[in-house]
Amino acid sequence: MPSQQSLLLSEHYGKPDFAKLEGYKKHGGYAVLAKALKMEPKAIIDEVKSSGLRGRGGAGFPTGMKWSFLPANGEPRYLLCNADEGEPGTFKDRLMMERAPHQLIEGMIISAFAIGCKKSYIYIRGEYDFAKEVVAGAIVEAYKAGLLGKNILGSGFDHDMDVYSGAGAYICGEETGMISSLEGLKGQPKLKPPFPAVQGYLRKPTIVNNVETLAAVKYIIRDGAPAYKKYGTEKSPGTKLFSVSGNVVKPGNYEVVLGMPLKDLIFDLCGGLKPGRKLKAVIPGGSSAPVLTAEEAMKATMDYECLAQMGSMLGSGAIIVIDDSNSMVDLLQVIMHFYHHESCGQCTPCREGTGWLSKILHDIASGHAEVKDIDLVKKISEQMMGKTICALSDAAAMAAISFVTKFRSEFEQHLQAGKRTLGSSAHA
Amino acid sequence: MPKIKINGNEVEVPQGSTIIQAFKATGVEICHYCWHPGLSVAGVCRLCMVQIEGMPKLQIACNTEVKEGMVINNTSDVVKETVRWGLDFHLINHPLDCPICDQAGECGLQDQYMKFGQYDPEMAENKVKKHKVVDLGPTVVLDSERCILCSRCVRFTDEVSKTNELGIFNRGDRCEIGTVAGKPLANNYSLNTVDICPVGALTSKDFRFRQRVWYLKEADSICPGCSTGCNVKVNYNEEGLWRIRPRENKEVNGHWMCDVGRDSYKFVNLKNRLVAGKVGQRGSWQEVTATDAARSAGLKLRETVAQHGPDSVALVVTGQYTNEEYHRLFTFFTVNLESNNIFHWMNNPETTKDFDGLLFRGDRNPNTKGVVDALGSFALKAKWEDLQSQLSSRKIKVVVVAGPENQAVFPDMTEKITFFAQAESMIWLTAGQSEALNQTGAETWQIPLKTYIEKSGSFTNVQGKVQTFKVGTTIVAQAFTLSEVVELFSGQELNWNLRPHSLGGVKTNYSIANRGAL
Amino acid sequence: MFKLSKESEDFVKKELSRYEAKYSAIIPSLFRVQKDHGWVPPEAVSVLAKLMEIPEAHINEVLYFYTMFNKRPVGKIHAQVCCNISCAMNGGRELADALCKSFNVQDGVMSADGKITVSRVECLGSCDTAPMMQVNDRYIENLTPELAVRKLKEMGA
Repeated sequence: MPSQQSLLLSEHYGKPDFAKLEGYKKHGGYAVLAKALKMEPKAIIDEVKSSGLRGRGGAGFPTGMKWSFLPANGEPRYLLCNADEGEPGTFKDRLMMERAPHQLIEGMIISAFAIGCKKSYIYIRGEYDFAKEVVAGAIVEAYKAGLLGKNILGSGFDHDMDVYSGAGAYICGEETGMISSLEGLKGQPKLKPPFPAVQGYLRKPTIVNNVETLAAVKYIIRDGAPAYKKYGTEKSPGTKLFSVSGNVVKPGNYEVVLGMPLKDLIFDLCGGLKPGRKLKAVIPGGSSAPVLTAEEAMKATMDYECLAQMGSMLGSGAIIVIDDSNSMVDLLQVIMHFYHHESCGQCTPCREGTGWLSKILHDIASGHAEVKDIDLVKKISEQMMGKTICALSDAAAMAAISFVTKFRSEFEQHLQAGKRTLGSSAHA
Repeated sequence: MPKIKINGNEVEVPQGSTIIQAFKATGVEICHYCWHPGLSVAGVCRLCMVQIEGMPKLQIACNTEVKEGMVINNTSDVVKETVRWGLDFHLINHPLDCPICDQAGECGLQDQYMKFGQYDPEMAENKVKKHKVVDLGPTVVLDSERCILCSRCVRFTDEVSKTNELGIFNRGDRCEIGTVAGKPLANNYSLNTVDICPVGALTSKDFRFRQRVWYLKEADSICPGCSTGCNVKVNYNEEGLWRIRPRENKEVNGHWMCDVGRDSYKFVNLKNRLVAGKVGQRGSWQEVTATDAARSAGLKLRETVAQHGPDSVALVVTGQYTNEEYHRLFTFFTVNLESNNIFHWMNNPETTKDFDGLLFRGDRNPNTKGVVDALGSFALKAKWEDLQSQLSSRKIKVVVVAGPENQAVFPDMTEKITFFAQAESMIWLTAGQSEALNQTGAETWQIPLKTYIEKSGSFTNVQGKVQTFKVGTTIVAQAFTLSEVVELFSGQELNWNLRPHSLGGVKTNYSIANRGAL
Repeated sequence: MFKLSKESEDFVKKELSRYEAKYSAIIPSLFRVQKDHGWVPPEAVSVLAKLMEIPEAHINEVLYFYTMFNKRPVGKIHAQVCCNISCAMNGGRELADALCKSFNVQDGVMSADGKITVSRVECLGSCDTAPMMQVNDRYIENLTPELAVRKLKEMGA
């Protein structure tokens, strides 16, 4: 059977009117909200729990479980939509906001109703100016139609929603970094405990979910958990949007069931590699996910379990396909430059480690290093893992370790070949 | 009280303690920079890593609360390796300019490296360049390259002084501490940032480059700057005092003291002091030994009482002496001389009740409460107006004044000296030199006194807390305490064996004595 | 001397009460200053601090944390070329170099005539259309150096 997409969330993305309320309603928009508002909030949470939905932002934490960490009292709480899509290689949330803002808003109102929240924010990365415009416009439409504000659809449920723009900081995609940013601080992650569900935005209980996660809630409530679970594998149910980029013929967003073989995704859906090129490596979940060799990639299926087993992760679903025209030394240099640029600077191992790694990789790439520096990269990376407030340090370290371990011979050959220049330097 | 195990030893610590507090309370060494007991938890230096049984990852001790039965260690190989690397991360971009750094000798990086580091560095890349000699304000200088971004100073200005001058600007290893143009670090608590800076990034303009700290000795004392009575430690050498820093006392000053209080080492030093006795009038002085001056002044006092009765003498005291001195002096006056003419000279009655909400008080005397209590216990009720009328009616022949040792806080010095000099004779007991004495016509004895750091005793602070302190050092060997003066006044001898030895050759380093502000 | 226009001042005041936390108004206010002036001059920090009653150091921390705020003047056309991984694999860095060369500017430094700044930036989330760049607020995708130069020239660079 040829591989195909399973268009659940993205079914109507091709229709231009889907971005507007009228068009959205034509395709059944906000009918699920009406249904949800008649349900018991707890029933919604249970439905999401039993659907097995896992966070689509990167960490893959079960969404229903996250919601159930909220204290049971009536304390005000916040729902924050994480649309700070910054993981290199990821561009699915932008598509979802530009093409289907109401789908996100509907999913958010349902989720907010489930957790008893009266105020939510959509935190959109600053660079996504167009997406911001579309979402803000959709919120205005929703208010006018009585879908936001007081007594939504006569249910007695009140909810307000607003958009907040980031201003250029990858770390604001980390949930507590995002909370800091929304509070008007530097986007530095906060110490845990306390966890956001207990003390988050303005020290109030807070749930942070990714755009895709919140949109998926709508479909779980529409079709019921059992129907949703028909997609994907037992442990990784549902569909997922994968952002495929790099050296494939047809890069783009593809919504497929979880568990699809990576090979099929690359070679069937994305049209494979350019003629004459060979697969060298694949980064399966954004630049933070450890790289897979070509052999690993050919065996991998795109679900949380298989990739974890291979020592990598599904992450945000950004698949970066690397063919044999690339130097792994060069690519790691680019990745390390990124983490150095984005480290928020509060935890010492990350602040200093990312800079150190970036400099060594630059030296290796330009041939001003020795073979023992490859070991040093590994040693530094090992000491950056599990030592900091958030996972940026781990992300940088895991990427570095996977590159220098799996492609060690290429690094060695590169250094033995003496001084040479690769691409143009990643250093500005 | 949860029972926990730290490095194999069972200890009990208060409920709600964090692990680092438990380590500190039980005296177990733990590496850390950003944690400070007087500030919020930042959890960013990542050095106080501990291993907790049952937890897969190492945890930071500063943000983890102890729980009953926790088994904690910071001596396993994995913790040691982590801390070692943690120190390395702190040092890779640090300039390692210890030979020219003023913090050397009391530097967290040096100390912790010697305790927990001692590795061979592998960093071969260029270090990040940052700003040097940044003028943050009137009191503090920053060297950004030395800064380890522990954020203590920023948290201090946010949480304690609440003045918000400092921030950490930029991101990653480009982060730098700084102020914004037009809003310098200028508050009365600014120098606390220097104390809590674990490295040589923030240094005090007043102290930097004056002394190597390992040549300085340290003594505990009480700040005489105001009625709060902050607990302090004083650094000194044979040349005198060099700085005052706060000493923790939860009930009085916490971990802090004000910048004004830190200046109260200056009047103690030799160049501001009266170093021998002086007898004379109208600026024409005969220098005598302090002992001779005190003896002859005492004779004059006793003769006057014998001739004109006890009401012909008066005693004026300021709130700058110890409870023990007041007691001895008041006893001498009321019992030996049978005079109740004892008056309290308040320097700034209008600001006495002022308080900045943190530590600094408008009553710039360390022992106002002490003198008021002593007057009460001797049932002395004389009013300042009585002194006024008795001086102008010439009833008072000899006035004994225990003047302020910290003259800067007595704006009415000149005015009051003229006022006292209406008497025929004045016995002026003081630590410092007073220009105004040169203008008066009264027959005057100047007798040098010791300052707070040169004597033992107690002050009663504004809360009514009696705080004792001991001799730290001696600057003027001839000087007396008020109690010693009383012995000589009454014709007794002092126990000369207990007198401090005169200081050896006092050096003045002119190159630093005449240096500029920075 | 930096001055906030009346409209911008009103905007800032409105933002101050728009969010649950007053400090949340800092980012939108800095964006507003940048919209008016093309960049955020250092003096703006004190002006905003006074208007918003927020400490200067705090506003400066926010200003320097986020890379989208221009801390020095940028050209009328600000071409930000993605040089992160997917773009780098498809010639993003070469594109940036070509633009710098073609407009005779250095990375991140405004041209002498104030018309253009070319900056290398991190992932902009348009990896399927690599290489790409953001010009002022909008994305221009699937570029070649020649195409990019032509587009920028059409825009007046």
